[in-house]
Amino acid sequence: MRKLFSTMLFVIAVSIPFSAFAMLSMELTRGVSGAIPIAVVPFEGSESAPQNVSAIVTNDLQNSGRFKVSTGRSDNTVVGRVSVLGGDQYEVSFKLLDSLGGKDNSRAVMSKKYTVPGRELRAISHHISDLIYQQITGTRGVFSTRLAYVVVQHGEPGQRRYILEVADQDGYNPRPLLNSPEPIMSPSWAPNGKQIAYVSFENKQAGIYIHNVVTGYRTLVSRFPGINGAPAWSKDGRKLALVLSKSGSPNIYIMDIATRHLTQITNDFYINTEPAWAPSGRSLLFTSNRSGGPQIYQVNLASHAISRVTYDGNYNARGSYTPDGNHVAMIHSVSGIYSIAILDLDSGVVRVVSSRSTDSASPSVAPNGSMVLYDTVIGGRNMLGIVSSDGRIQLLLPARNGEAQDPAWSPYLS
Amino acid sequence: MKLKKWIQIILVSSSIIALAACTTKHKQDELAINDGNSGYNDEGAQSSGLGDESGYRDQASSRNGHLSSNRTYYFDFDSNAVHDADKPAIEANAEALASNPSKKAMLEGHTDPRGSREYNIGLGERRAKAVAQILTAKGVNHKQIRVVSYGAEKLASQGHSEADYQRDRRGVLIYLQQ
Repeated sequence: MRKLFSTMLFVIAVSIPFSAFAMLSMELTRGVSGAIPIAVVPFEGSESAPQNVSAIVTNDLQNSGRFKVSTGRSDNTVVGRVSVLGGDQYEVSFKLLDSLGGKDNSRAVMSKKYTVPGRELRAISHHISDLIYQQITGTRGVFSTRLAYVVVQHGEPGQRRYILEVADQDGYNPRPLLNSPEPIMSPSWAPNGKQIAYVSFENKQAGIYIHNVVTGYRTLVSRFPGINGAPAWSKDGRKLALVLSKSGSPNIYIMDIATRHLTQITNDFYINTEPAWAPSGRSLLFTSNRSGGPQIYQVNLASHAISRVTYDGNYNARGSYTPDGNHVAMIHSVSGIYSIAILDLDSGVVRVVSSRSTDSASPSVAPNGSMVLYDTVIGGRNMLGIVSSDGRIQLLLPARNGEAQDPAWSPYLS
Repeated sequence: MKLKKWIQIILVSSSIIALAACTTKHKQDELAINDGNSGYNDEGAQSSGLGDESGYRDQASSRNGHLSSNRTYYFDFDSNAVHDADKPAIEANAEALASNPSKKAMLEGHTDPRGSREYNIGLGERRAKAVAQILTAKGVNHKQIRVVSYGAEKLASQGHSEADYQRDRRGVLIYLQQ
């Protein structure tokens, strides 16, 4: 009976009513000098809709750190209109104007019109931001993606709660997937954006679950004796790389999700953990202490041959490829401070991108490769951070309802 | 005594039947400590309701009562070497467990919050296993011990000073309610 009650406590339905306030608040702490000027003129009819479309677009572009947004006229100007159609339907239209032909010669380089229900106004605003971002910078925008992360609420001693949440990339619409008195770790998005794998310590034992983000239904896929950790989806969504210590110490395995069949990839007595798939799908990065302290290695999935990737510094861990396969984001320790760094695989240069005055961990690369999401400690409090891959743009995302940690950036969702 | 044994048999049988419906099958591992863990997978009776302080029982009646009441053992940075000063306490607990083979315990491994979370899970497991090795060397049956690593996910201290980190790096022995 007690077990049934505890089980019910753990599984929470996904849909909760839309929240007017972000659970994660976003604060741009450093933008790029030489940011592109753009004007977003408040859309006509804004006050008639429940969401302020041009304000959302302004925040998206401003927080990307790539744009300096004003409301007057500029070389790039966004104008638009929101009209009430009745029956909770709205028409949203916008034009992106550039005035390269002179002040009185602005032409529309982009012009679009949408009809959406009230509940999709934020989503269409983010889509408009994506289009503008891509049009001007040439890079696909990530404004329509989501973040998964764990919120820890401390409360009384022995009354800690761990909540796995998913929010929009700007921190809005947080939805809990799991609420537990025991730790939740290592969320990992499936490539189709519909499922998340994670580690949960329910029943005081580590288990790996696959959780459907839409339905809230979940499956336990691994609960071997010892460690069950670090799940990582293959690019085709059919396999999970994971860590099990059932052999006596943590080793990397690949599980075929449909059959649950396991293939052992490393086979020794070191700590081997944090597998990450190469874009080709033919190898994994992983962390191992086989040379003393943690370093990042690569293992070929056909031959199981292992080669070392990091040589700079005495602690390198949690490596993951950027989408182009040319860089590895990781945790890199310099003088006892743990930072997020990016390794250029061609040149071997390691660049620290997070603040050097505090510890950071859990890097997760955005699907356009331009930003890295991670967790950090500011003023004694765990929160999320976002940094551009060149380190110049920095944002902090503290949770309003506890401390945020262990984030994962979703794939493109549209 | 006989009634208690029957109750145990009924409890274990019914939880095995219940579990057969929902657990995934897996191969049992050969390594001693992991056999102990797999024993717990089949006993639904202990799967939930364990608070942080549950199962804490004073050993005042045993001659090692004072020693065995120390059940938190601290570790140096990046190390899983048990401090010599902790060995008498661990051995006293080993004697309590060895002399009562139906008594079960959990060993938790923890780290300070710096660095990678999953690597810290690996470190925490090494710490818990280091304590477990002393227990089994002193005659405790591996089936009496379950090892779980929480890494840096259940910190003892919210602060970020060296003193806080020292309190985080620990192995904890917890007796389980029968």
